[in-house]
Formats: sequence, structure tokens, C-alpha cells
Amino acid sequence: MAAKYDVLGSRAPRLDAPDKATGRARFADDLNLPGQLYGALLQSPHAHARIKRIDVSRARRLRGVKAVLTGQDLPPILYGVSPARYDEEVLARDKVRHVGDDVAAVAAVDLETALEAVGLIQVEYEPLPALLTAEQALAEGAPAIHDLFPGNLCAEVHQEFGDVAAAFKQCHLIRSGRMVNKMQDGAFLEPNACIAEFDRRGNLTLYSSTQAPHYVQRTAAMVLGLNMSQVRVVKPYVGGGFGPKAAATPLELAACFLARRSGRPVKMGFTREQVFLFSRARHQFFHEMKIGVAKDGTFLALEHRCTLDGGAYSSFGIATVYYAGSLLGGPYRLPNMRYDGWRVFTNKPACGAQRGHGGVIARALFEQQLDLIAQELGQDPIALRLQNTMQAGDVTCNDLNMSSLGMRECLQAVGDGSGWRGKRGRLPRGKGIGMASGFFVSGAGYPIYRSETYHATVTVKVQEDGGGVKVLTGAAEIGQGSDTAMAMIAAEALGIPLRDVRVESGDTDLGVDLGAYSSRTTLMTGHATKEAAEDAREQILQALAEELGVVRGRLSIRRGRVKIAGGPVDIGPLRGRYLKEHRGWTDQPTGRELSFREAARVAYLRQGTIVGTGKYKPPPLGGEYKGAAVGTSPAYGCSAQVAEVSVDLETGQVFVERITDAHDCGQAVNRTSVEGQMEGSVSMGLGEALFEEVKFDSKGRVLNPSLGEYHIPTIMDMPQMKCIVVESNEPNGPYGAKEVGEGAIMPTIPAILNAVYDATGAVIDELPLTPERVLAAIKKAGQNKKGGRRKG
Amino acid sequence: MSSHRIRLTVNGVAREILAPANRTLAQLLREDLGLTGTKQGCGEGDCGSCTVLLDGEPVNSCLVLAVQAHGHEVLTIEGLAQGRELHPIQQAFVELGGIQCGFCTPGMILSAKALLDKTKRPSQEQIRRALSGNLCRCTGYQKIVEAVSEAGRRLSRGRR
Amino acid sequence: MLLPKFDYHQPRDLPAACGLLAELGPEARVIAGGTDLLVNLKHGRIRPKALVGLERLEELTGLDSGRGRLFIGARTSAAHLAASRSLGGGLRLLAQAAGQLGSPQVRNRATIGGNLCTARPAAELPPPLLCLDARALLAGPQGQREVALSAFFKGPGLTVLGPDEIMRGVVIPRPGLGGGGAYLKLGLRRAMEISLVNVAAFLQLAPDGRTIAQARVALGAVAPTPILSPRAAQALIGQRAGDKLFAAAAEAAARDARPIDDHRGSAAYRRDMVRVLARRALEQAWDQARGRRGGKS
Repeated sequence: MAAKYDVLGSRAPRLDAPDKATGRARFADDLNLPGQLYGALLQSPHAHARIKRIDVSRARRLRGVKAVLTGQDLPPILYGVSPARYDEEVLARDKVRHVGDDVAAVAAVDLETALEAVGLIQVEYEPLPALLTAEQALAEGAPAIHDLFPGNLCAEVHQEFGDVAAAFKQCHLIRSGRMVNKMQDGAFLEPNACIAEFDRRGNLTLYSSTQAPHYVQRTAAMVLGLNMSQVRVVKPYVGGGFGPKAAATPLELAACFLARRSGRPVKMGFTREQVFLFSRARHQFFHEMKIGVAKDGTFLALEHRCTLDGGAYSSFGIATVYYAGSLLGGPYRLPNMRYDGWRVFTNKPACGAQRGHGGVIARALFEQQLDLIAQELGQDPIALRLQNTMQAGDVTCNDLNMSSLGMRECLQAVGDGSGWRGKRGRLPRGKGIGMASGFFVSGAGYPIYRSETYHATVTVKVQEDGGGVKVLTGAAEIGQGSDTAMAMIAAEALGIPLRDVRVESGDTDLGVDLGAYSSRTTLMTGHATKEAAEDAREQILQALAEELGVVRGRLSIRRGRVKIAGGPVDIGPLRGRYLKEHRGWTDQPTGRELSFREAARVAYLRQGTIVGTGKYKPPPLGGEYKGAAVGTSPAYGCSAQVAEVSVDLETGQVFVERITDAHDCGQAVNRTSVEGQMEGSVSMGLGEALFEEVKFDSKGRVLNPSLGEYHIPTIMDMPQMKCIVVESNEPNGPYGAKEVGEGAIMPTIPAILNAVYDATGAVIDELPLTPERVLAAIKKAGQNKKGGRRKG
Repeated sequence: MSSHRIRLTVNGVAREILAPANRTLAQLLREDLGLTGTKQGCGEGDCGSCTVLLDGEPVNSCLVLAVQAHGHEVLTIEGLAQGRELHPIQQAFVELGGIQCGFCTPGMILSAKALLDKTKRPSQEQIRRALSGNLCRCTGYQKIVEAVSEAGRRLSRGRR
Repeated sequence: MLLPKFDYHQPRDLPAACGLLAELGPEARVIAGGTDLLVNLKHGRIRPKALVGLERLEELTGLDSGRGRLFIGARTSAAHLAASRSLGGGLRLLAQAAGQLGSPQVRNRATIGGNLCTARPAAELPPPLLCLDARALLAGPQGQREVALSAFFKGPGLTVLGPDEIMRGVVIPRPGLGGGGAYLKLGLRRAMEISLVNVAAFLQLAPDGRTIAQARVALGAVAPTPILSPRAAQALIGQRAGDKLFAAAAEAAARDARPIDDHRGSAAYRRDMVRVLARRALEQAWDQARGRRGGKS
């Protein structure tokens, strides 16, 4: 049987891999421009303080210094992520709100001089009480971190779907639990870096390590007082982002201002410590949940409260506080759900979006509670989930539409793939097996600023010689493989081999693309790419039909050859024209069929350069209630995982020994990349479950701002993973494709929690699972018994 | 500050560079020689992105002074491929999906090279141990282990 | 991250190096592998005007066995120790510890001398060396002196090393038959990890194969310096080896620990872990001393 697709679903090597394997791929810090200066930032040593006076005179006088800027030198424009909460300044004017808040910026002939100049800037601070916990920040009489937000409440959410109180009265079993995690760091390997350059006409080009060139372009234009057309943001190769690189940074904006002031290109970069001080990664969440089920295990109601420690600025936090609630709408049928969320400002680096935005800890607690409910009901955890899972076509209580949902298949796949039945309840003490599910958006339904903008526009330009096409997109390849995915989609749509497609991406001059966040690129940019490629194909085939004197409907392209249906057509004259143009060339087309190259060339000769365009914007989605926009998506990915652990009962160390992972990504575009996203998600989830925690001292300073003391998993910590790709057919996705980038992280933490419970009988409500915490929990659960767990 | 005339071999080519005492080997490679394939992820030896082979052994070039490399042989990622052909380790990383963002890749491949130079057909455990100083945040390492294992198979076939 | 400015010196031999140190005074620092020093320099924790590189000092190299003693040059790398054939038998715990230091890249640069002279409480190599009764050879302008390693450490980052002295190496009495040891560390990750607690244990069995003739248990990260546990040694020496004895000795070791609370872990947990790790290390040491292959390392 012929495969459904020629290119999609294959394991094609990534387009960028050879350059990355040989060191040729250039990242922001690898770029240098003639005459460039080096920038450096002066950052606050205080968590909360008023700026009384800044003296930059000595810095300005230092030889080699070309520009020194403070907040007073910049236009008084606030920016941020969400326009309703613009609360950031590039450089602090009146006060600093966390250790590492930016106070001044210097550009000099070399980095050494810039840093020396930074050291010469004198700032007089009046320290204010540092509010380092949500509790302190919400306390009566606490000073306001932002004048705009008295009481330090950044955002609150109160939602109820169905009638929760009434539903609880019907419940056979009600369970309550809580979960708290710790602030995370993105810990991408490439620290943020950029170079800004103005041309003599006042146009700005910013090369930056970002996930979202479009948002950076928009913010830079707004803050610098330029039109967006005067600002070009170019993303070179990016060494990972995972969320924290999804918005403009003070680093980028300071580089722009310094470049404008000095008239020279300015290169800047964060040190690893500064990456921690900028943060914008996972919040600390304090979740409380009450879950009620019927006697047969049917989920009836959820009451959920969450407080988020947001740090000093809003960043993506409004979306985060909504996601923390809304993402529990699926993948199970849950008719009644109440959610109250509060995001609180504190004097710590601002938190933002990180892989699995907002939903990860909520999911961890929810899935942990489901296991405990299953135990109380005497049910198998997988069976309980199978019983409650939604199906394609279902709509959640908060109006999320499950247009496709391979949840059932995922659950069955990990059950079978892990040997669940033979292991669950049969392992010796200290060994455990646990599972969990998850689900996530496949692209945010709305842009981060209110707009009717397209989320992606793509151009497919057919090379004039006919030898191939170029996909031009603003989409951000940050390591996830979007360039390759777009090339594969274009190749499939055009009917040509992948090698004939080249991709130029990550440049705001190439079109609008909202960026690599919310797992949106495959679906959204994929749609636009498909449409652009089809447009180009149509133009070629139309031109060819006219040349051949046949109706368009008879022509198609597959595997680089033109197929003509319905009887023989003389291609001789056309081929003759092509051959005449290529005397002396060795690679001449042969065979009975015209090649794509000949067709595309003839189309060019007939009508000039062929350019196909495509665009995508989700249809209006979601309900009418306040906050309905967050959590809506054209499609949802889902997943299930089984974790097998061994716990050292004397030290509390948890070793994850095996992970079986199934994810429904719709049609897999590139199978290797899908697995890569699944495996990468597991490693980030495992790190969060076991190790990761940004720690602060009593003055708000980060205690572990390094990759030595902020522990992400090493290759020794990662288990063997078995990845099972489940392919539903997503009606709203290009070729049926949807997300895998973030949803795949959802089950990891709860699967590990549930496995640790199976191994030890300890219910743990605080992350990460440090040996000390696990050991304490084991002792609490009682030695030598499995915490009431039934075995066998 | 003292300056030093540093003679070293980089990717088989003898080089002589005048550098101040506080220059790291990573800076010398990236800035003086333009070999930006060596990445800087932390500057403190915690991530392995700047791994190069010094006399065949992996080191963090951010924690080696340029002057300490005087008289030694350095292999960077740029020196691995022969002509247009990728080195079998690079080829395996490309084919098996061992590369995502690519920032850890040069260091990862060089650590793998040092291993495979000594151990033709390493076990999973040996691979993991040899790459334990190279952090990757993207891949979860599975495809990296598979790529190194496959490269070992191909290399030992080639040697026979 | 930039390094501050400094002069770099490469003396040709040990006397020249010590002379240079004497001349430069306290503004100079010695550098061998640099994996610790360069990080501190980059963070501005220290600002020496000059670094004295040891790379030309042949006196600081080599592993030499003779007259029942093993000399290990101070410049010997952790990677070299981890792979060294000279560290079999009762010396295996030193190779074990060296193999768990930092990462492969760090092990290729980090030296035994550096690991001792930086005097970090959680360092890998002091516990096994303390267990092996190692002595440090310190060279100065006036010649060489020998200091028991147990008297070498003075506090976090502090040793008895004089400002114009350089560690030449360590000497270890070679354990005879019936000697066995083990090194265990506890951290979060399985690589690139600073120990929360580390423990080394060494047992020398009497010819009867059962009585413990000599014993040492050393602890890291639970006191201002790596320490030997006198109580553990006392509990073990002269007794017949066995699980109960090891458990009691481990209890004794925990009593000798003086851990503190910090962000990596609480004092109480660390003390607890000393007990667990010491017992396991003793069991493994015994297995080795009896000629059985040690358990998991």
C-alpha cells in the first residue's frame, strides 16, 4: 500500500543538523559586525529600593566608553508582554524591584572597558522592605512593588463552570490535596545575546537570541518610538528557549538604545548568572484542589485554588494564572469546575512562561489525586482515566473543543508498552511504577496583544530556474525543528522532494509570525506554509496547463514529477524549450514525465517569478466568559506516561529507571523530531520533579545562579525512554498535525510522583523530590508498610 | 598584565598567537581564530558547551588559560570533518536526531570522539559516563546515546 | 565571563617556583588545573596580581611506588587517578573518588594537589586520602616538609600550606593484603555534583581475616574541613568485622559529624546520611578486604 504522504511522517534528517554538527551554525554570540561596541548592564544589588541618585560621570570619562544610559535618558514608556499590564522599564527610573533589575547600560570599545565603566557608576539606593514571598507581599501594610498595583496583586481569576457546590453533594468520594513547586529556570544552554545596529536612515536591525522575533520587533518599535517597518529583528540559530525567550528583554532594548546613542553596532549578552536574574521561567505555584467523584469513579467536580509567586513584573503572568486553571478542563470529562487564582508580585526576578505554560504543577497535583482516588475506589489508575477520558468531538466545561483526542490510545499504549499489568502492585518496596496523563494547547487561540493580525504569514518563492522553492517565514527555529517541519510541509504540498526546499526563517522582514511559544508553529505556521505552497503549486500548474493546452484539473505533481491524467499529452515541445536553455548542462530531465523543474521554469517564463502566499489565523474560539481566551486553541495534543522508579529507602534518592511515553501529535510531520520533543519534555519534567529549584537568600539574592548548582538532568540521570507516537487526525491542523512541544511534559512529574508513592507509600506535596524531602515523607508514611497501598 | 606568545596546534594547523595572560582557550579559539563552533554556555565549567580536545582529552576550554595550551594540540568541532564528508560521529548525530538547538552539539560530539578514540564499541553506560560533563536541555539525551552508539558501530566496521 | 588582569609566570622547577612565590608575596596564587581557581577569579572572589603556573614542574608529576609507599605527584589529574593501575587493591577507594569528581572535562584538568589545597569541605579526594593515612609533601624555599593530611586542613579554603610553599605531592603507605576501602557520595545528580555528604572507609584485616587491625572512616561536607571520625575508628579497631559492628561504627561516625544547615540540605539529614553512607562504605570495604568484589560504587 502506498504511504499516505511522500514526505510527512518520515524521519528526514533536519535541515540545520549538518551545520550544527560542524560548528558552522551561527548563534547570536557568534556574530560580529564591523565597528561594534560591547554593552554591559548595571544591575541592582537590592531586591527592593528607591533610586535616589545615579552618578555616571566617572563611567562616561573612562577611555573607550561610547555611551552610558540610565532610565532618565530613555523615553518614559512602559512595556511588557500583555498590554493590560505594561509594567517594565528598560532601565529603572525611580526604583528597583528585584536583585538584577537593570539600572544603567554602557557601551564601550570592548567588554572589559564596558564592565569597568559599569563598576564606576555610583548609585545611591534607599532600601525598601523586600517582599520575598507571596504571603509577605499580600500582608496588610506591605509596600506596593508597583504603584499601579496596590496590594501587590498582579491578576486574579475567578471562574466557575457548572455548579460545583451542587456537584459535590452528589459525590461518593471527595479528596483534597495541595502541591507546591519551586521557581524554575529555563536553563537553555545558550545565554541570551544580541547585536543591535542602526543604519544611517534610522532603521534598526536587531540580531537576537529570541523565540519571538515578532514580539521583540513590536516592543522595540514601541519603546524606541519607531514604526515596526523600521525595525527588523533577525533570529540567528537559538540555543533553546523553552519560554523565557518569548518576549523582549532589557538586554535587547538596552542594546538598541546604546546603538542609537553611539551610532555603532552594540553587542550584548547575559552571563549565566544574569540568565537566572532575568528568569521569566516557571512560577512557583501553590495549588489546592478538592476533587469529587461518583461511586463508579466518574469525575464530577473540581474546586481549585492557586496562588502564583510572580516576581517583580507581570511578564506572561496573566496568561499563566489563567492557564493554571483552564488546562484542567481536559482531557477528562469534568462537568463542574471552579477555579480561583491569584498572581502576586514579589521582589524576585519575574516569572513567565515555561514549557507547559501554567499547567504543569496543576497537572501534577490533579493526576496525583486521581491515583489516590483510584486507590480508594479500588480501581486501576489507567482504567479510571480511560473511564473518564473525553473523545474527539467533546467540549470541556470551559468551552475547549477537543477536535481530535487520542487520549484513549495514549493510555492504552503506555499501559501495554510498559508492561503495566505485570508490574503495578507487584513490585517490591523501593520499586514503583506510576502513570499520568496530560494535555495542552496547540497554539494559543489569540495573540498576546489584542489584534486581528494573522498569526502567521508565509511566502513560498519558486526559484526562477525551477530547481526548487524557498519558504520564507518569520517563524522561530529555536531547536525544536520548525524549519524542517515547514520544509516538509511545503515539499508535501508541492509534491517535490525535501531536498528541493530551502527555508529562510526567523526574520521579521519575511512575514508575520507570532513566534515559538504555546506549541503553535506546526499547526499555525504549518497552515500558512501549506497554503503558500499550494498557492505556488496552483500557479505553476495553471501556467503549465495553459502551455500544454490541457485543463488544469488533469495535472498534479508528485515526487517531483508532473502527472497528467486522462490520456497522453505531448510534452516534447515544452521539454525542448527547457533543453535549449540548458545546452552543456549535465543534469538534463529525462523520462516520459515532465519534472517539477521544467514545469516551474515554464511557469516562470510565462509569468515571471512565482510567489505563493499563505496565512493563518484561528477562527474565533472559546466561550464568552472573562478569560475565555486563555486555553483556547484550534487543537489540543494529549499524552500519557508511565514512570518506573527505584527509591533508596535509606537516603531518599529517587532514580527514574524507565519512562514509557505516548503522545498524540496528530499526523507526525517528522517522526524523529516528534520523539525528540517527547524525550526533551521528559528530561525537563524529570529535572523539575527531582532537582530544579532557584533558591533565594533572605535578601532576595539567588543562591544558585549556575548550572553547577541549579541542577538540570545530566545524561546519567536520564532513563531509557520508550516513545510511542499516537497519530489522530486533527481536522484543524495542516495535514492533521498538531502539537508535541509542550504537552509532552505534562505527565512526567505526576507519573514520577505516583511511582514514588507506589514504591514507598509516601504522598509528597512539595517539589522537587530531593532525597531529604523524600526521606522525610517516607518516614512520615511509616516504615515497613506501603502506606495502606494494596499490593498484588 | 603579562602577554604571551602562544604556539599551539589547532585542528592540525600550527598557530602562533600573542595573547594576554587572562585569555582563556575558549576566547582564543572564538575571538582570535574565529572558530565559533566552540560555544560558551556558562563560563564556569558547568555545562560542557565549550568542550574541545586538548591532546585528545576533553576539557572545558573556558577553564583553560590560553597560555596553558602552549605547546599542545587542540581539536575543535571545525577540525573534525574531513573535507566535505562529515565525520561518522557527526553523521550519526545528524541522521539519528541527536541535534536539536545545536548549542551543546559541538562539545557533545567532541566528548564522543574522545570516547570512541579509546573505546571502539562502548556500552550505554560508558557512553553516558563519557558524556556526563555535557549538558543538553533539548534532547533528553536518548538520541545522543543512540548516535554515539551507532557511530561506534560504523567506526569499528570501518577499522576492520 | 571575563577573567581579571594578572601576570602569568611559568617557573622551570620547584625551587624557582617557591622563590617566585616568596618574591611575589600574598598577591600571587598557584595554578595547576585551574578548574576551581579560574571560576573564583571570574566571579571576583579573589583578585591575585599574579598566577604561578605549575605546568613545567616535573617534580610534581608521576605515581611512584617504592619502599611500601606510593608517591602521587600533585599535578596528577583526577582522570589519571581514576584510571590508574597503581590504585588497585586497598587503594581502590581513591580511584573511585577521583572518578566521581566533577565531569570528565574537569577530571582531565583537576589535580590531586588542587583538590587538596583548595580545601573545600565537600572535595572528593580528601576522604579517601585521609582513610589511607596520606601525608602531604610541601616544598618551600627552605626545603621540603611532610604533614599528615589529617593535620593539613584548617578550615574552608584554609590549609597549613605557607604562602611560599607548593604541594609537591602526597605519599600513601601501601596497604597490605587484607586491606579494602570504599568511597561513597550523596548528591542530587549522578554526575557533576557537589557532595551533600561523602564518606570513605578503609579496613585492614588481621591475618585471621576477620579481626579489624586498622580502620579509618573519613567524612566530607559535614564539618569545616574533611575529617576522620575517631569514634568510628575506635569502634572498629580490634573488633570482629560484621554488619552489626559496621552499623555501630556508622552511628559513631554520625556522632563525629558536625554538619550545618545550608541550602543544599539540613544538618540533621546530613548526619543521618553519614550513618547510612558510612555503614555502606564499611560493608563494601570489608567485601574488598575479604577479596570479594565490592558492591555498587
